[in-house]
Amino acid sequence: MSSSQTTLRTQPRTRPTRQKRNQVGYGLAVIAACAVIGILLGGIKAPLAIKWLFGIAFGFVLQRSRFCFTASLRDPVLTGSTSITRAVIIAFILATIGFSALQIGPYLAGQTVPGNINPVGIHTAVGATMFGIGMVIAGGCASGTLMRMGEGFLLQWLVIIFFVAGSLLGAFHFGWWETHFIASSPNVFLPQVLGYPLAFFGQLVLLGLLYLLALRWEYRKL
Amino acid sequence: MAEFRLDAMGEACPVPLLRAEKKMKELKVGDILIVEIDHSCAMKNVPEWARKMGHNVELEEIEEGHWEIIIEKTN
Repeated sequence: MSSSQTTLRTQPRTRPTRQKRNQVGYGLAVIAACAVIGILLGGIKAPLAIKWLFGIAFGFVLQRSRFCFTASLRDPVLTGSTSITRAVIIAFILATIGFSALQIGPYLAGQTVPGNINPVGIHTAVGATMFGIGMVIAGGCASGTLMRMGEGFLLQWLVIIFFVAGSLLGAFHFGWWETHFIASSPNVFLPQVLGYPLAFFGQLVLLGLLYLLALRWEYRKL
Repeated sequence: MAEFRLDAMGEACPVPLLRAEKKMKELKVGDILIVEIDHSCAMKNVPEWARKMGHNVELEEIEEGHWEIIIEKTN
């Protein structure tokens, strides 16, 4: 991207730049391995191959786009930048539309609505706060940690060990939370409370307002 | 027109940016700061921050997974 003629450097690099290795071969090998594993998984059970494919596609997009849930919530406070925040809001808008498309059929037919609709209560706030502190210190949320492990950032390999340890600890005392908080918390599905049109469009409007707020935050607070 | 280096190798996301921000304050206009990073996230947010501040920025991948961000302080 930058040639040596136009560089801002005051002196030329003292260390010689190491010749970059051609990585096309590795790339082809990885694609071939992905295809073979996908076919093998499909042979066991077709949905496994679909999950494999989605996982790879998700990881690819995450890596190339520098999409980061941690940065989306940390940067507005730390640096005043909301570009990733806005990207996450757009993702939420798309997810709202996508999930509604999947849920409206079963909902209108009176069947069980697909998706993780879990009780909301004080435990949600406690967990969110703990996770928020943890992900900023660790430099990534769950998907970000996995993505950076793949990139070869070694700190994240350390993070995943404690991520697993923390998850085990969480699973271990989940029963306590279940009896004390989760059992008595309401299971809210907004369309049931507000009706489908208000819940759907209301959520889109709210996300749109958040987007505008994020835009304002970035350009007023420089 | 001095050139400064900041070694932020092995440091995860907000740290390189915060250190660069702090170091920039010590520089005079026209000075160059070279931030060395190996965290791909800093490759995005450090140049983005520096450009927003109005500085001249250059990003160079000097080997796989090892970048230098060259910032010229302009204000």
